[in-house]
Amino acid sequence: MMPSSSPLVLRVAAMGVVLVFVQIGVVSEIPIFGVKADLSPLLVAFVGLLGGCTLGALTGFAVGLMIDLMLFQTLGLTSLVFTLIGYWCGRLRELRDPQGALVPLIVGCVAAAASLVGYSLMEFMLGVNAPVSFELLRQILLGVLVDTVLALPMYALVRRVLIGALPEDRNRRRRRAYTTGGLSPLSKAR
Amino acid sequence: MHDKTVRRRRAVLLGLVVLSLLLLTAYFGESPNGRLHSVQRGFLTVVSPLQDGANKVLTPVRNLFGWVGDTLHAKSQRDELRKQLDILRREKTADEGEKRTYKELLALVHLNQLSLSQYHPVAATVISASPSIWYETVVIDEGEGAGIHANDPVVNAEGLVGRVATVASDGAVVDLLTDSSMAVSARIGMGAATGLIEPKVGEPNDLLLEYLPGNAPAVKGESVVSSGTVDPGHDSFFPPGILIGQVTSVNEEGAYRSVNVSPAVNLHNLSTVEVLTSGEGTRAFQVSHTATSLPAEQEQSTTGTTASEQLASTGAGG
Repeated sequence: MMPSSSPLVLRVAAMGVVLVFVQIGVVSEIPIFGVKADLSPLLVAFVGLLGGCTLGALTGFAVGLMIDLMLFQTLGLTSLVFTLIGYWCGRLRELRDPQGALVPLIVGCVAAAASLVGYSLMEFMLGVNAPVSFELLRQILLGVLVDTVLALPMYALVRRVLIGALPEDRNRRRRRAYTTGGLSPLSKAR
Repeated sequence: MHDKTVRRRRAVLLGLVVLSLLLLTAYFGESPNGRLHSVQRGFLTVVSPLQDGANKVLTPVRNLFGWVGDTLHAKSQRDELRKQLDILRREKTADEGEKRTYKELLALVHLNQLSLSQYHPVAATVISASPSIWYETVVIDEGEGAGIHANDPVVNAEGLVGRVATVASDGAVVDLLTDSSMAVSARIGMGAATGLIEPKVGEPNDLLLEYLPGNAPAVKGESVVSSGTVDPGHDSFFPPGILIGQVTSVNEEGAYRSVNVSPAVNLHNLSTVEVLTSGEGTRAFQVSHTATSLPAEQEQSTTGTTASEQLASTGAGG
């Protein structure tokens, strides 16, 4: 589902640009437990979770491309990883529509893990001359942990920015009804 | 209607993935002077003023977090500094005599050393840093306009920070000492044996001084400094005598020994750095210019090390 309203796209674009600047200007320079928090996969995941898979994938591609361009990294690498993260989170919403309070925490954790592991795998595939050390695994685990801690406030921020511009999803009521048993023939039979 | 939505969704995903892979393939295959690299340089030129502005606005926030972190570490740092001060006092006394001897020997053999007097320091502000554990880089607010070239050494008051990787007109990307592309020839204290400083991947607070002879003396707490050019056939980008870090432990590895080194510079909290630019005609400029003008095929060897690193690896290379 691709929300076509331009206010939503504008809000996502503005939030993406601001977050990339804040990420590389401030967050990357403040180590927490010896690792740098990365808010960008969280942003992409939560835009996908709130706006759907197409918006999530497009946001992932754009944010990844911007990071690769601004930091002179291998072009297309972050875009590829973030596109898949955004799409997967959007599909999660469209198929399951999870509503629990811990959903952002779990989605943030999985998105951070997918970002770090996916990025590392791609780097290895591209031939970076580096051993898989215990320290590298520790860095990845700590990175996932820190991002998971930041997932809830980040989700609240993304939701607050987008909430007014999110269109009503016609299929949502039906999905919610099915997952809660509202339209199930069994529930009607009671 | 539903089928159309599904088709569109899949087409968007497929398009973005294919586009990413095309960018990746093209970028990885082209030389550093290729089109995509030029686009990146152009983008850096456009956004560096914005980054500079954002950096100024966000500096108080960064300082606040930095202050909290510094306060938490202040006590352990004070104890560590006291120990270092004792070591340095002892070293200073010993160094006075050795320094005199060293200068005399240097004059005798007419060693073709790069020296700091050949460089023109340019002060720059760090405006952004990479969040990835694979790219230990920062972006500074000075570029070609200030006379900065690729491969210029970057230092701050604490010691060696890294090397300029890419330059735009108003900004430059600096590879930090802990970036996987970095290699610096170095020696322990005033010792004669040279080795190669390389980062330990995934350990941002540790460097590795490798390829030291098995009998090279190494004691915990000793200073590690850049060795500069020790072999005229393998020039180094870095002038001699710049502090890199302190020895934290020694590993015995048969014919060679390696030494763990803690960087002298706090690479996670950089605000102002100094780029040692080299004036045209100087030896340092020639070294830097030769490395940047190498063809891409020569620069990227099969092991992943670059010709630039090989130039820097005076210790390993001979």
